[in-house]
Amino acid sequence: MNVQTAEEFLTEIQKKAERGELLYIGKELKRIDDLEKVLGSPIYTNDLIPRNTLYARLVLSKYPHAIIKNISVSKAINYPGVRYVLTHKDVPGLNESSTIIPDRPLFAFNKVRSTGDIIAAVIAEKPNRAQEAAELVEVEYEQLKPVFDPVEAMKPDAPKIHDDGNIIKHVKVRKGDVEKGFQQADYIIENTFRTQHQDAAPMETETAFAVQRGEKILIIGSMQTPHHVQAAVAKVLGWTLDRIEVIQAVTGGAFGPKSDEPPYDVASIAALGAIKTGKPVLMSMTREESMIAHTKRHPAIITHKTGVKADGKLTASKVQIVLDGGAYASLGVLVIVRATFHANGPYEIPNVWNDGYKVYTNNTYTGSFRGFGAPQAIFAAESQMDEIAKKLNIDPLDLRLINMLRPGSKTSTGQLMDESCGLPECLDAVVKASDYRKKKKLYSKQDGKIRRGIGIAMLHHGNALGPEGNDYAYVHLSVEKSGKIHLGTGLTEFGTGAISGLAQIAASVLGVPIDYFTIDRPNTLVHHETGPTVASRVTVIGGNAARDAALKLKQKVLPVASKVMGCKVEDVQIVDGYVYCKEKKAKSLSWEELVKEAYEANIELNALGYYMAPSCKWDEETGLGSPYNQYTFGAAIAEVEVDTETGLYKVLNYYVAFDVGKAINPKSVRGQLYGGTVQGLGYAMMEELVHREGYVVNPNLKDYYIPTSLDIPEQIQTFIIEKQGSMGPFGAKIVAEPPVVLPGPTIRNAIMDAVGKGVNSLPITSEKVYKIIKG
Amino acid sequence: MAQMLVKLNVNGIEREVLVDPDDRLLDVLRDEFGYKSVKEGCGTGDCGLCTVLMDGKPVLSCIVPAFQAKNHKIVTLEGLNNDPLMKKIQDQFRAHQAAQCGFCTPAMEIMGWHLLNKKKEPNKQEIKEAISGTLCRCTGYYDIIDAIYDAGRPE
Amino acid sequence: MEQPLLNRSTMIVLQPSSLKESLKLLNENPDAEIIANASDLWPRIKNGEVKPKKLLDISGLVSELSYVKKDGSSIKIGALVTVSQLEEESIFNEKRFSAFKDVIAKFGSPQIRNVATVGGNVCAASSSEDFIPLLLAFNAKVRLSSVDGDRYVNLEKFITGKRKINRRPNEILTEISFEDPGEGYISAFEKVGRRNILIINLVNMAVVGKIKDGKIEDIRIAANRIKGKIPERAKNTEEFLKGKTFNENTVAEAKKVLSEEVSLTDDIRASADYRKALLLAMLERLLFKLRGEQ
Repeated sequence: MNVQTAEEFLTEIQKKAERGELLYIGKELKRIDDLEKVLGSPIYTNDLIPRNTLYARLVLSKYPHAIIKNISVSKAINYPGVRYVLTHKDVPGLNESSTIIPDRPLFAFNKVRSTGDIIAAVIAEKPNRAQEAAELVEVEYEQLKPVFDPVEAMKPDAPKIHDDGNIIKHVKVRKGDVEKGFQQADYIIENTFRTQHQDAAPMETETAFAVQRGEKILIIGSMQTPHHVQAAVAKVLGWTLDRIEVIQAVTGGAFGPKSDEPPYDVASIAALGAIKTGKPVLMSMTREESMIAHTKRHPAIITHKTGVKADGKLTASKVQIVLDGGAYASLGVLVIVRATFHANGPYEIPNVWNDGYKVYTNNTYTGSFRGFGAPQAIFAAESQMDEIAKKLNIDPLDLRLINMLRPGSKTSTGQLMDESCGLPECLDAVVKASDYRKKKKLYSKQDGKIRRGIGIAMLHHGNALGPEGNDYAYVHLSVEKSGKIHLGTGLTEFGTGAISGLAQIAASVLGVPIDYFTIDRPNTLVHHETGPTVASRVTVIGGNAARDAALKLKQKVLPVASKVMGCKVEDVQIVDGYVYCKEKKAKSLSWEELVKEAYEANIELNALGYYMAPSCKWDEETGLGSPYNQYTFGAAIAEVEVDTETGLYKVLNYYVAFDVGKAINPKSVRGQLYGGTVQGLGYAMMEELVHREGYVVNPNLKDYYIPTSLDIPEQIQTFIIEKQGSMGPFGAKIVAEPPVVLPGPTIRNAIMDAVGKGVNSLPITSEKVYKIIKG
Repeated sequence: MAQMLVKLNVNGIEREVLVDPDDRLLDVLRDEFGYKSVKEGCGTGDCGLCTVLMDGKPVLSCIVPAFQAKNHKIVTLEGLNNDPLMKKIQDQFRAHQAAQCGFCTPAMEIMGWHLLNKKKEPNKQEIKEAISGTLCRCTGYYDIIDAIYDAGRPE
Repeated sequence: MEQPLLNRSTMIVLQPSSLKESLKLLNENPDAEIIANASDLWPRIKNGEVKPKKLLDISGLVSELSYVKKDGSSIKIGALVTVSQLEEESIFNEKRFSAFKDVIAKFGSPQIRNVATVGGNVCAASSSEDFIPLLLAFNAKVRLSSVDGDRYVNLEKFITGKRKINRRPNEILTEISFEDPGEGYISAFEKVGRRNILIINLVNMAVVGKIKDGKIEDIRIAANRIKGKIPERAKNTEEFLKGKTFNENTVAEAKKVLSEEVSLTDDIRASADYRKALLLAMLERLLFKLRGEQ
């Protein structure tokens, strides 16, 4: 430890005070909530169950589309170890487990619409017995004609999956005059792109545990939004909210499905089971159950028609997106909105005509998953750009430079970009780091079987909920007598580090080191309803609420300090946990001492911070306006090496830059850049949840490939660009989702550079590369 | 029913437990012994999260029948938490933010510990190979590799 | 009315402590499923694919069945040798056994290598088992032991179909052996899947051969699919190559022969066309690797 004079010490403190609220902002602090994780402590839902817990296993539909004529559980209920078999008959409230459109029952009762439909849940003393008894539940079906192709399902004579037609939602963007734009063009390029079902595959599957306590029920679970789970269970039980306590346990990964309907299912089943048996019940989906019954990423069929002048200027873009919505709408109703608004890529195009459709099919249902429609939309848009560049015989980089969004540009919905548009800086960073121009030249003159290629993709990503609803958050701060500060919120942590980031913001604003902070488990009975933890909005929306709470807390302690130290309130400074007066340097307090004084003076040290984002204005009919308050921007470049004889390829280097406004904790931001990139790499190269005739063929991690440590590029170089936005704390923008979007098109374009043709569907398997090389 | 009495040695503690023939070592470790650090991620031996040490070698406890674990010494992360090398690894995991959701962390730490006991100062390729049978969905592996790398180097 | 328990929970587990005891028990219980280290069988029992009433657990016979030894010109591997143990055997450091190192390096995952046995791999008899093409290329044979004595069967004849082996109900596979091909021989193995580890093979191939003075004196080629769903030798291609001078032309011609020899089908992981392309490319690579190691 350095020995300093009192003078040196105070000067250091003064310097920190001058930096004001930015005390810990931008610092790579350790997370405050990961000690228990590295120790392997029992913190996940499955770890917390008592010995007399009963276990539930699901009975899923045998057919993708059928009428249920009869359900018989008599054999199953008599199986040794079985305590109860839940069906729709056991639902006292509403047999519904849905988010926005109430189209999905908890337990199927009159018809099944996918092989992921839940018909019953068997509750037994051991999971093995529940699993065996599940095979004894007898269901009589009358099969109906299914439809699996969403384009087919849109036709008027397609089998009806619900009562109305199969088009769940249609989103439009109508800007300018697209036909005129095509007339002005020198070239018109048309292509169709396809993407697959991706499984989120969080390492911990959907899990909930319930125990009845008198008139109340306690539910602990792995989830993104405890208040929504509470409301869902209340609906199913027919109870008031005050009787249902939902606590989010430490959650082993989420990525979207845990913000959608699956947690409602597991929580409701656990709750019903607990009530019916009088014992605690654990409903923890097996990996197989999860991969069949939880929400997936929507497959997409996207057609692009683009008009461009010979000089490279885009004149018109017409895009149709059809998302395979599966059997139920889920949060996918909003996925199609984001996909359609971002469908043209981060470019200024005067004439735009977009149609986005989410369509019912008898495949398993699709919903919220990191990126929320952007991975599909940007894959198509950025692949289309390289096709256009090829047609014009100009470098894909130059085509992008000509058309990309910059400060002063307008998006495809007509929203004006201001100086916070960091796309040019992002592109510049990766172009320089990858030595793009030199490599491009080098790779244009290759012979031999092994070819290298370099490709680019970029994006813009509207921040937070935007058109999806009111974007607000509440964060609680309360201080113990010891000085320890509790941060509580209904927003949840599941790996991003964002909740620790809220503590980092509060610490910075308050002037107290982050070590004083402790994060409480989100609890619906304790923490204010705060909206969903989705759309990467914890830092941007929650962060403002954390800042608000810290400021309010500060207002409570400053008068106490002023009285104790005998100086004006305006002169009190709190820096690094030291409280002192600007004028009278002699007297100072520690944070602990100040808190003690406050307690003695009966000043309560609690603060409830709140923030609500400005509402977004756009036209429902034309899509025009400003559907998001601010945008994150990103660009990536990949270098690949392709064996032209076999189509086998690998990603050598990957460069990615994101404009995150302000990186509250750059280490955590990089964690999202790495993690999102590798998950996007899986989407691009190897992940495919295969449906055949409505059945998931590979609901396991043996035949569904997620990247291992041997599949990652040798290096990923990351660049954090900071062009402060208008909405987030200290100018922060969202970052957790969009890194997953770029690998798909970047790798696709790099392969196109290597072999001359592009693969227009994901995943880009070696067989597909082999096929386009062969011709 | 065909229940079996099996004597197990876990983290140095010997105990006889009653198991069903289809019980997995994973279930016995979690439910009978209370060692919750051992996770189930897939149940088919494909994710590595159930990794424990059996006679010093990493094995997948979800595909080891409980009845086969007799006469073997099993060690879970709980049994290594006082080991100085493991402490070093855990400190590095925190320094590198290598535990995001944390679900793969026990298995990753065991594989890292096993490697560092076998090989001094392994390079990053060797670390990648050591953890290649253990899946992570959050970090993209880079921070985990860096954490194990730094743990393998002198202070 | 209580439902009868399904087989999983009523399995009877027999745990002999010696080979002699195992053979006796198996003779008395020929319907028992033999289980060593359960990496292949256990998931299939858990998901109901296999419903054994009895299990014969031979994992305790390690002291008797876990050895690698050279017996004259024969290399003998006990059925319970794990993949990790093979890695530590110095015999396989010789250049002619480098294919063993290739197989081990990409086998399963590090954890699986600690429990998967060579015997288990052979008995699983499917195209996902990497040791089978390797051992076929080394002309391996298996020893089947029972109370009636020992029986030796060529590996080619032992595997009769997908998950079908020529094992009598009272026999245990106790040893795999092959003739050391001797100095001058080289071997190599490669496999391809959708990612770099823990894969279900699209294609794998093992070659063992001797090239002397530019001439292919001997060559054996085995792949996970040739004509059916199980690993086999590419006998026509071997015939073609034997005695020929090794050059680019020969290799190109050999690819043509292999192309005619294979008969593949489309499946959900790859088309027949693509698997064939991979096999041909792999043949070329491995042949050049053989020559390169000279």
